[in-house]
Amino acid sequence: MKKSIIALSLLMTLSPLSAFAATAPLDLVGPVSDYKLYVTEEIAELVTQTQAFTAAINQGDLATAKKLYAPTRVHYESIEPIAELFSDLDASIDSRVDDHEKGVTAEDFTGFHRIEYALFSQNSTQGLEALTAKLNTDVNDLKTRVDGLTFPPEKVVGGAAALLEEVAATKISGEEDRYSHTDLYDFQGNIDGAKKIVDLFRGQIEKQDKAFLAKVDKNFATVDKILAKYKTLDGGFQTYDKVKENDRKALVGPVNTLAEDLSTLRGKLGLN
Amino acid sequence: MSSPTPQPAPPSRALRWAVAGSVVVMIAAGGLFYYASQLAASKRQANHNEITVTIHGHACEPNALTVPAGHASFRIVNRSDRAVEWEILDGVLVVEERENIAPGLSQVINANLQPGDYAITCGLLSNPRGTLRVTPTAQSDAQAKAKPSMVAFIGPLSEFRVYLSAQGSALVKATGALRHAIEAGDLAQAQALYVPAREAYQRLAPAAQRLAELDNAINARADYFEQREQDPAFSGFHRLEYGLFQQRSLDGLTPIAQRLVNDVTTLKQQLLAQSLPPEQLVGSVVRNLNSLADVRAASGEEERYSHIDLNGFAANLQVAHKVVDLMRPLLNKSAADLLPTIDSTLAAFDSELQGFKVDGGFARYDSITADQRKQIADKAKALAAALDGIDPALGLSGLQ
Repeated sequence: MKKSIIALSLLMTLSPLSAFAATAPLDLVGPVSDYKLYVTEEIAELVTQTQAFTAAINQGDLATAKKLYAPTRVHYESIEPIAELFSDLDASIDSRVDDHEKGVTAEDFTGFHRIEYALFSQNSTQGLEALTAKLNTDVNDLKTRVDGLTFPPEKVVGGAAALLEEVAATKISGEEDRYSHTDLYDFQGNIDGAKKIVDLFRGQIEKQDKAFLAKVDKNFATVDKILAKYKTLDGGFQTYDKVKENDRKALVGPVNTLAEDLSTLRGKLGLN
Repeated sequence: MSSPTPQPAPPSRALRWAVAGSVVVMIAAGGLFYYASQLAASKRQANHNEITVTIHGHACEPNALTVPAGHASFRIVNRSDRAVEWEILDGVLVVEERENIAPGLSQVINANLQPGDYAITCGLLSNPRGTLRVTPTAQSDAQAKAKPSMVAFIGPLSEFRVYLSAQGSALVKATGALRHAIEAGDLAQAQALYVPAREAYQRLAPAAQRLAELDNAINARADYFEQREQDPAFSGFHRLEYGLFQQRSLDGLTPIAQRLVNDVTTLKQQLLAQSLPPEQLVGSVVRNLNSLADVRAASGEEERYSHIDLNGFAANLQVAHKVVDLMRPLLNKSAADLLPTIDSTLAAFDSELQGFKVDGGFARYDSITADQRKQIADKAKALAAALDGIDPALGLSGLQ
């Protein structure tokens, strides 16, 4: 009893948070619903652009198909916290060759990375009809399911950290788009998706911890600045093999710090 | 020889104080150490409950898990030769996951689990799925019976705000199309486009009625004006309806239509800017259904010139349906006994309205008899009464 009183008073003196009121749950309704509106728009883009991308493949237009690959899938990467909730579709749309025991020949290896393999490694648009049809069906299915999903607030807020963990694990190493080397598009997509979440909850985060927000903003700016060096004139990105060693290293620090910092967001907003 | 052995000098007062002081410090430090070690012990206790799962090349070890409900920690050790993932699935939906666990490394997943049976994806997609059984505890049973907290309403209320946004956009679009037909001088087209615009409005009506002044500009009937239809202030949907269906003339309707487009655009913005507490979400739908049952069904006064009242009632029912769907998970958890009545009254009202469908559309309301109108009112009333039970059952009005 006494011990807990001591601990409590210690906590009250030491914790700077005790001065702030907790986030009112109803204040999170606006940002969570605005996030769904954002995800809905991104999926609409994914559906439309997947149609154009797969049409190019089916017409045998290899050059156009290659050009459309990265800008199309970036709309998947930016909304991964929600898209990944549907494990079956995530596997059929975005699984990598490593997820399949039989590698590229695995029958259930479908989706963007299987098509990427054909376009960029085999340099061919031949025999992809079944894969392109399935990709269209899958992204449409994803749209229907997301429309019907009540977004769990903790997944929305936790999504910022999940996106940065994804960057840390697969983007800096350049293994996500190993045939096309278009990783920087995905990289930017993940970062933009995470920044969107921070921006939507900015008002609530600021009330809880201003210094935290300043630090997060600074690290986002650092990452954006490095990525901007590799932007091309058409608004796209250079291939990942062009990224200099010192820039890869310079990305590690801010990305890891962001992943760590953003993982505290749920707690800050009372969603643990 | 007899040199006197030097006596130790008596300890100085300062030293005595120092010794006493250090004893105090030692006791204090000991106390702190004890406190810290207690803290560490309780932390170890938490880690002690960590469940280790090892991913091998073709399966997980163990692949069948049983844990009590509540917080659980899983340490996932990857002993396969690829970066893989481990997920807890509820159907196809991911509850918690760790992706890209590097070979030879481990990661911890913290989950807050509800009782039930879950599947586990374990490494390669072709690997057999594992099972996770979460057993109820006294605490989880108590939680299941407890009324939900405000946090539980963030999801449903957000989804309703998304609904308001989508329906608001639909209303702006449909009203814009109606305006174009009026401006183009196409009476038949304007009469046709009045219907979808009203349906869009009626899907927002429960929420819109909270914005009294703006809602009057959009939806006030002639009775609210001193000189009724002849009153220069009479505007909005029903002024258009009067022109289109009673006078069968587009004279003077263009400025009314333009103002209506502005007003519904403002309506959408204000609906999104308003904070809607949970008791209002349900309460506004109950009020809307009661006004249907007590007034609108019997009189047919709402669409007195166009007689498209049934379209409006069906749209009102759609909102009620939406709200029930959003509350369903919470009702299932905390007030499941309400659901059979809610669902049966929803279905009864729906089939009553569907009975008036002719050639894919609704019959004109002036063809509906007094008996039939009473049936419609009764069904709406029964639904309103069933929905009225949600507030006390979930404790909406006393939420913290």
